[in-house]
Amino acid sequence: MKTIIFIAITLLAGAIAGTILGAINQVAVEPYIDHAVELEMQNTNQSNQIINPAEFTAYRLWQRGGEMLAGTILGLSIGSLFGIVFAYTHNSVPGSNNKKKALIVAGIMWFVLFLIPALKYPANPPAVGDPETIYYRQSLYVAFLVISGFSALGLAFLYRKMGALNIKKAIIPAVYAAIISGAYLAMPANPDPINAPMDLVIGFRITSAITISMFWGLLGVIFGTFWDKLNPSKTARISVR
Amino acid sequence: MLVSNQITKTSAGVPRVAVGILLGVLAFGVFIVGFDQGEILGFTVPADGSGGEPGTNWAHEFYHDMRHAAGFPCH
Ligand SMILES: [Zn+2]
Repeated sequence: MKTIIFIAITLLAGAIAGTILGAINQVAVEPYIDHAVELEMQNTNQSNQIINPAEFTAYRLWQRGGEMLAGTILGLSIGSLFGIVFAYTHNSVPGSNNKKKALIVAGIMWFVLFLIPALKYPANPPAVGDPETIYYRQSLYVAFLVISGFSALGLAFLYRKMGALNIKKAIIPAVYAAIISGAYLAMPANPDPINAPMDLVIGFRITSAITISMFWGLLGVIFGTFWDKLNPSKTARISVR
Repeated sequence: MLVSNQITKTSAGVPRVAVGILLGVLAFGVFIVGFDQGEILGFTVPADGSGGEPGTNWAHEFYHDMRHAAGFPCH
């Protein structure tokens, strides 16, 4: 495999998809965050802290810029994981070209690393969480993510080992479902009560889930297109005389 | 007479150095955007001067909105 090309297309695809995510979130998700931050401000004002509105507007603008950069960084890192998984699996994934294969891999990773954890611990806008419980909530989230990710990884190896056995197509997803259901029931719920209006919270969850899902789709398409064009899995031509 | 023979080989191996670099990018990026509570860069002044003073955890604040939007736990 051509190491440099592999790293380059992985990072480039991740950065492009992540930057697009940051840009779309400016329009799609920011209105919810702004609304939630306003509610927080009202609560703060009631507790008699003085906040300068002009300074605060400038601060929120700065924070929105940060979301763009954070999109690029997040895209780079999720793209890196995606590139590694694709490099190891693309020969076993069905699909007539690498764009289709990459979309399948992205779909599975989206399911295992985003959708499943989000069902147990859905995203919350500002104004919901209690800063006191942040480390506890982070541990819960990571634990669930790790259970989902590593059981999928282990089962993928098992799937490969089972070779031509057709029954694996039923058994492997069933085992994954059993593990996730067990973890879902066993793990404690998010400890924080939701004090923000429910329509704000639900709107934020749905919109942010849509933009993250779109990011995974974009990542697959862009990465697969690069892979088809540059094919890093072929080594350089060796001339033998 | 010279016989020229070209071989195009598809290699199955994934270069370890690439996997190492990409895992590094993964860990760093996810930590910064998703989990940092000021452990990294928390002691520095924001580059553009608008985000606060040293010790105010500006990197967390800067990446904050994406943390919520990507589903990571936050405040
Ligand atoms: Zn927050």
